[in-house]
Amino acid sequence: MLSSVFAKTLYDRLRSFRWWCLGTLAFIALYGSVFPSLHGKQSLNKLIEGYPQALKGFVGFGGNLDIASGAGYLGTEVFSFWGPIVLVAVAIAAGSAAIAGEEERGTLDLLLSLPVSRTRCLLEKLAALVCEVVALAFVMWILLVIVSSAAGMGVSAVNLAAAMLGLVLFALDFGMLAFAIGAATGRKALAIGLSATAAVIADVLNALAPLASWLDSARLVSPFYFYSHGDPLRHGIAGTDTLILLAIAVVLGALAPHLFRRRDLSTP
Amino acid sequence: MTAVIRAESLTKFYGESRGVVDLGFEVEAGEVFGFLGPNGAGKTTTIRLMLDLIRPSSGRLKLFGLDVRKQSVAVRSRTGYLPGDLHLYERLTPREYLRYVAALRGLDGLGDGEALAERFELELERPIRALSKGNRQKVGLVQAFLHHPDLLLLDEPTAGLDPLVQQTFNELLREVVTEGRTVFLSSHILSEVQRLADRVAIIREGSLELVEAVETLRARAFVRVEATFGTPPPQEAFAGLPGVRELERRGPVVVLALEGSADPLIKALARYEVLALDSHEADLEDFFLALYRKGKSDAE
Repeated sequence: MLSSVFAKTLYDRLRSFRWWCLGTLAFIALYGSVFPSLHGKQSLNKLIEGYPQALKGFVGFGGNLDIASGAGYLGTEVFSFWGPIVLVAVAIAAGSAAIAGEEERGTLDLLLSLPVSRTRCLLEKLAALVCEVVALAFVMWILLVIVSSAAGMGVSAVNLAAAMLGLVLFALDFGMLAFAIGAATGRKALAIGLSATAAVIADVLNALAPLASWLDSARLVSPFYFYSHGDPLRHGIAGTDTLILLAIAVVLGALAPHLFRRRDLSTP
Repeated sequence: MTAVIRAESLTKFYGESRGVVDLGFEVEAGEVFGFLGPNGAGKTTTIRLMLDLIRPSSGRLKLFGLDVRKQSVAVRSRTGYLPGDLHLYERLTPREYLRYVAALRGLDGLGDGEALAERFELELERPIRALSKGNRQKVGLVQAFLHHPDLLLLDEPTAGLDPLVQQTFNELLREVVTEGRTVFLSSHILSEVQRLADRVAIIREGSLELVEAVETLRARAFVRVEATFGTPPPQEAFAGLPGVRELERRGPVVVLALEGSADPLIKALARYEVLALDSHEADLEDFFLALYRKGKSDAE
């Protein structure tokens, strides 16, 4: 079963993955069961309209604050809040564990004493990271499709997939950042800390952008902006935004082997 | 014939701090090469350089005539490594772990792992986290040997092994060498190197002190004679005796180094009241200590 670095890495992640799946199931069931009582309640939207702008930036998804509609509700609750937290957390956990985690535990020495090149080791771990994030997103998607139709949210499976693709790429941006920092330094806490900070900054930049004009251009460095502003739950996939998110992940992923190849492994 | 290991002016600094400096040595096929030195002398650094886990600051290092950096994967496929500080995957059982190692080495099943585990009486089904230090060390040894490597890099291999298992390990090394394979064995235990190695390099503070056959070292060595007298003999009692040097004097106890015939010393001793006499062949340990004492007095 453990016949490659790829398989071994996935196997290691499986334990926590089960719990993430279970949590996802619980959350989506909860969200689904609450929605029918909000459906069509315009008074709720009025309430949100009265929120300070700074707050609205955090709860909206793609500028849409209509939480009495299915798309608005999922956008606010799942895609701009809980979904990114979970998927980014999983991606950063996997990214920091890949090289830095194994290096700090001291098992990387023996692994790289085997006839496996550093680049190959890295690429297999990177593939495992992508698989884990995609798999959890797939579980989320299936549950959302079920809940959306059961609770009458009226968001199509295709648009959910479009939003989920954006979310996967958004999470991978930070997962790859953690991966690259871990590969460059071998320090897990550093990888987690920096990439989590980057994710928070991305969210805050995007949320506060409407408050100040100088922030409006600053949001263009925020992956959260490219993830959310096209409102994929309503309009489906946004080509350019998707490509930008993908490009960030690819560049960071491609940087990792380069940084990893040239350095000394730390002594366990 | 190319040497299995060839180091030339090999130097490694970690930033400012010293790893190894200007190492030069060769290891031939079919020998057990002992790499002896205290902790922190640079033994582990040398081995990690061979596996491309760390990169030299300068100098050259070749295994099987291959560059350890550019042809690292080829080097590693012919090498088995036992780290001094062993870290294993705690959740796996030894069988799962060994299968993983074998798979990454392109072998089916456990390679020679099954037979080796049996020989070391290693239980394969209990999780590694539940194993004793000795059993973990066995897992480390089995993974190093399971692909029948041409070269074994063993860093403090007998740490934590009980005497019976050490016996098995010694036999295994002997077989390896009989088959013309090579062992690079690092240790700070002098008697271990003396027992197992054909040649020995002594490393101290990153530099090689000497490289010699264990036999030559022994021949160079002396007999250590410790005599306890009824009344301390005069200071000059043993001066000028052929092959005798006085090493130490503690009250009535005099320690002497003897090379060659014992006769002149015995005759000299006979003039005094000798309460006790102890002598043994100086082992590597004595030699090692003498070397260090010399280094110290040079520095002072």
